[in-house]
Amino acid sequence: MIMITMNKIENNHSTNNDSYRHLFVIIESINNELIPASLEMLGEARRQMDHFNLKYKSNEKVIAIHLGHGIKDLSKDLISYGADAVIYADDPHLKYPINKIYTKIISQIVTDPHSLKEISPEYVSIFKKPRYMFFLADSIGRHLSSTVLAELDSGLASDINKLVISDLDIKHQHKTKGETIHYQKVLEMYRPDFSGFLWTTILCLDNKNPEIAKEFHPQACSIIPGAFQPCVQDTKRTGIISQFSPQFDEQDLKIKVVKQELVKNPVQFENYKIIVSFGRGIKEDPEANIKLVEKLAKILDAEIGISLPISKKIFHLNEKYDSIYITPNRVVGTSGRKVTPVIYIAVGISGAIQHLDGMKDSDFIIAINPDENSPIKDVCDVFIKGRMEDVIPVIIDELSKRSGQLKEKEIQVNTYGKL
Amino acid sequence: MENCDVTIVGGGSAGLAALKHLSSLGKQAILLEAGKEIGSKNVSGGILYSKKSNNGKIYNVEDIYGESFLTEYPYERKITKYILNATSKDKVFSIDLTESHNYQTNFGYSVLLNKLNSWFAQEAQNAAERLGGGIITGVHVRALKWEEKRSKIIVQTDELEEFETKVVIAADGVNSEIAEMANAREKFSPSELYQGVKVLVKLPEKIIEERFEINNSEEGAAHLFAGDVSLNLIGGGFLYTNRDSLSIGGVYHYDSLLENPIEPAEIVNSMLKNPLISELIKDEVPIKEIDKTLSKEQQVRKSFAITKLLNNWNELRQLYYSHKLKEKSIADRKYSSEDEIKSKLDNLTKRLTDEYNIKFKTNYIELEYTTKLVPDGKRGRMKKPYHKNILFIGDAAGRGLFFGPRIEGLNVGMDDAARASIAVARSLDKNNFDSDYLGEFYTRLVEESPYTVDMKEIDKQYLNVILNSTRKRIPSNVLGLKHKLLFNLVSNDGLRNFFITMINKYGYTRLLSFIESEDVYFKVPIKIADKLGTLNTASYIPQIPTIQDRVAKLCYHEDNISHIKILDSSKNFLRKMVVLCPTKCYSLEGDEVILQHEGCIECGTCSKETEWRHPRGEKGVIFKYG
Amino acid sequence: MTLNIAVLVKLEPDFSEGSVSYNPDGTLNRAETKSKLGAHSAIASLAAFYTKVKYGGYISVSSMGPPMAEIALQEAQSICDADELHLYSDRLFASADTLATAEVLQQGIRKMNNGKEMDIVFSGHRASDGETGQTGPQTAWKLGFTFLGNVIDFSVDLNKRFILAKRLVALPGFYDIVEEIQAPLPVFIAIDPLYKPIFDTISLRLTSSRYLKEAKERAANYKTYLKVLDHKKLELDPRFVGLPGSPTIVHKVEKIPKARTTRTAELIEGYDREGIKNTITKILQLVQK
Repeated sequence: MIMITMNKIENNHSTNNDSYRHLFVIIESINNELIPASLEMLGEARRQMDHFNLKYKSNEKVIAIHLGHGIKDLSKDLISYGADAVIYADDPHLKYPINKIYTKIISQIVTDPHSLKEISPEYVSIFKKPRYMFFLADSIGRHLSSTVLAELDSGLASDINKLVISDLDIKHQHKTKGETIHYQKVLEMYRPDFSGFLWTTILCLDNKNPEIAKEFHPQACSIIPGAFQPCVQDTKRTGIISQFSPQFDEQDLKIKVVKQELVKNPVQFENYKIIVSFGRGIKEDPEANIKLVEKLAKILDAEIGISLPISKKIFHLNEKYDSIYITPNRVVGTSGRKVTPVIYIAVGISGAIQHLDGMKDSDFIIAINPDENSPIKDVCDVFIKGRMEDVIPVIIDELSKRSGQLKEKEIQVNTYGKL
Repeated sequence: MENCDVTIVGGGSAGLAALKHLSSLGKQAILLEAGKEIGSKNVSGGILYSKKSNNGKIYNVEDIYGESFLTEYPYERKITKYILNATSKDKVFSIDLTESHNYQTNFGYSVLLNKLNSWFAQEAQNAAERLGGGIITGVHVRALKWEEKRSKIIVQTDELEEFETKVVIAADGVNSEIAEMANAREKFSPSELYQGVKVLVKLPEKIIEERFEINNSEEGAAHLFAGDVSLNLIGGGFLYTNRDSLSIGGVYHYDSLLENPIEPAEIVNSMLKNPLISELIKDEVPIKEIDKTLSKEQQVRKSFAITKLLNNWNELRQLYYSHKLKEKSIADRKYSSEDEIKSKLDNLTKRLTDEYNIKFKTNYIELEYTTKLVPDGKRGRMKKPYHKNILFIGDAAGRGLFFGPRIEGLNVGMDDAARASIAVARSLDKNNFDSDYLGEFYTRLVEESPYTVDMKEIDKQYLNVILNSTRKRIPSNVLGLKHKLLFNLVSNDGLRNFFITMINKYGYTRLLSFIESEDVYFKVPIKIADKLGTLNTASYIPQIPTIQDRVAKLCYHEDNISHIKILDSSKNFLRKMVVLCPTKCYSLEGDEVILQHEGCIECGTCSKETEWRHPRGEKGVIFKYG
Repeated sequence: MTLNIAVLVKLEPDFSEGSVSYNPDGTLNRAETKSKLGAHSAIASLAAFYTKVKYGGYISVSSMGPPMAEIALQEAQSICDADELHLYSDRLFASADTLATAEVLQQGIRKMNNGKEMDIVFSGHRASDGETGQTGPQTAWKLGFTFLGNVIDFSVDLNKRFILAKRLVALPGFYDIVEEIQAPLPVFIAIDPLYKPIFDTISLRLTSSRYLKEAKERAANYKTYLKVLDHKKLELDPRFVGLPGSPTIVHKVEKIPKARTTRTAELIEGYDREGIKNTITKILQLVQK
């Protein structure tokens, strides 16, 4: 059987977007503890919708969707962090975020007008789907956002760190058949590329070209943890908390989590007072320069971080260095980890904004870089102008003269166990 | 528990020959190799010989692998010139020893072990597969356990579930861990070992042929060196031509090195610095320099661009100076003619010079630095190369063959392998693995080998051939009185035969220190070169890489757990390792000797006084050429 | 019984030195940059190979891309000993977003191995050039397969037709979770970069080297195994693929503006040993606090 019919072209597009309402935020928690980035996402949702309601003189809501088991009590927290309403589904089958089950329940909630009975009764009769949806760009949300949007048959942008809602005149070969058409309430989703220097703006737009006419809602994205600030908690805030009774497919309940173990990331930036990170400045002799950084880190008892471009394996390195250092869990930056050590030493990192966001709150920042015009200079306390090959040996030399003042510690490398 | 009939430990030339030969005899066998790929841990000088002897049958490479060995060219060049060079500073005196090289020889090919063993592996694998066996790489044997009642061995490895086997053939080299586990023999002592050091130098095919006056693209030359290049040690240097590289190095008595510790790299450096050799290895080498005033991004981009162009330049140049590659590329219509290749190459050179500021300098290019311990069969071979149902072959059994300019190991190991296979096949047929039936029978087969005879006795005829070649060239009056007498003595057929008969009877090994003496290895050669040698000058000074540079060029799959443990850090032997470790893994910190295993190339130089194991599967050094 | 295994792979720019080229403005020069099988696709191929060695199976590898993407299929075949290669190539597929790509892939998967249903589909974690990580789960959803992401290890129970998978769920700034999950076949697995197949018995090793040899031979003649399918052969409606089928568009690309200056740096020249000494003193003071 051929599945062409899966997508239906909606020729009847008289809805004029009335049926798409609200911003739905998919909250994540583990063992009944909210993942901090969920609150960041909620904070940004609050700011966006406050702005939206002011600009368009409307009253659309930030609705937090929360699935789990024994999670009802967290609903108040979500209100206090900016949600207008919380729809939660509480069931033993929802204890773990199993993709298939979560996807179906979330889709049920966001396409069921009755979900909104208490929250916005005025839209219940016309509501079809959310206007906007936010997910987290972590291991749970990334996949969940993909499958939910596949189910809702709409568009999605991943790894976003800036959002703007605006009205745009669009001229596009396919979307508008080359005509200029005014689109309202468009969510501009900014996605940094891997170099960290370029932003790509992604839009999810209805096809207004009559030959392929189709409405694409919600406009959805996954948000980089650490990209936005949460709202200040306000326990006085009030909102509607409503429970949703999920319907499960028997077949799906055969998918079972048999064991769950919280583990520490083998790279524990939090346990170190000093972090030394390196970037493309190692290029002249990558292996020798990593050795230098390694030596410096060892003397300083520091953990080693890397910049995002380095994680793309742009240099040929021996397997040891490759497997220890060139790993995503060492990336410092918005698409890696946010760190705040006592001292941050950036070696050969020019300072793409996405890297700076990940380290700029460190207490004391030192940069080693031959190029005085590098953006990193603007966020550091000491800028040592020079090549790492020249500067680090001097630092090591000077440090070893005072070796009594620092304790050496072996660099530990752990791996996750096998089945 | 899984099981298999025969387990061969070690995928070098000997182990692979055993797998191939056992398969030819219809027996199922598996071979375990610790390296990630076959050939990645193997090092040789190296020439592979095929020999014939009046003393009995020899199992040669073509007996084991068939004629395809000759038609598929897994080797480098056929050695048709064998020259001994006596050196003293910039003077060299050369003696043609081709005749002695051809003595009882079918052929001798220069080889690079990674390539050679990969070919052997492919042949052996195909044969073994049909019988349900094969090669398993990346597996390091940790322990063997005996099931005495059923006379079975349980093999425990770091990587696989344990399994059961009827026989083990230990082909795990000079530093055999199987020998140690089974307590089959002591570790070899320094007097039973040679230290070999080698660098592989890159040089285009046609330039090699021009420099060494080789007329046929299949043929090549081998040079031996004695005299001041040996730095007052008992040993000598060698230079072999490969297809598009040269193997240059030295082989030295390990006890001589212990007595007079010298960094092993110096042995090969003294060769490279010899003006004759400097001239033989020279080439045009591009020097990459990047404008430091450019922004970081631009520097990276420029550097990437240059790397790409230089890769193309190297490829094209190699093609231009080759025979087969060039013919093939023209036949494949990649290029229309030799002229087109030439003009493309010239263009690329010009672009590199003009646009990217690349300078071309006379120097030489090293591809790989390797070292290896070689057992001296005269002194260290196992008299009974078995323990229970474990048979030892090749280097693991201590069977290197050294006599004067004759250096053989690969062919001896292969001969052992065939003999072990025959003994094992016989035991499998009768399901009898008792020592009397298996081990003793194998011992007898090994004793019958002409190679064993050559480890026990001086071959008068061979000595005669060598002396004939030298006598023709060296007037006896250039030698001092003492050497002249000795020379005259051995030059007289009657006297010599009498003496050698006496020596062989008395036990030639007991006289070895007299034969392998400072006089023979450097005093006399220096004298000869001084008096008769011709002057050589080098047109440049080769820039010899430091040991750090050489190690940095090697490939490792590092293990954070060291495979070597120091037993007693205050021992004098270990202090010597600070100098003698070929990759400087040992250093002194105050009074303590400390080990950093990361640069280890697994030669075993330090094994005598350490807990020495091979690295776990896939770990450690990876030789690209060997 | 044996398994029907599918692998989705992608041709990606090779960012390594000697292969990559940049335009003068610093953006990737795609025309000059060499392409190869993406690193994550290679790991997916490896997982499929392990499955074939351990449980037996028929492997189909597919990729959506321009005609030259067949080299990625060839490379994947040399890793996993694929029995069939699919290339979905059509100008109409160009510039598709993840949803429109998933539409093509799911339809292709339905045509693998003469239309038999797949038991396991493997994909990489994400691509190194686009890297949304969305295509895999969306394809899985369109197929109706259970999606398992970040899988670092797995085993299959052939009789019960279940898979047991170990997943590494990374939650930045929070915990990492290692989860063991069991699910009935069919499943779609996005394999984690940390996955490493372990062949730990002599029989698995011997089987794997036999298949690997076969893989090399097959890859040398990969065209015999290759089927190129366009939208017609895939029976896809042009309105649902490529640009017309993509809900999202790239609106603009811009430089990310410089962050506001937050601190004023003290400038020390690299050769100024005194300056460096002072910095070290400062470091030691701060650390000891």
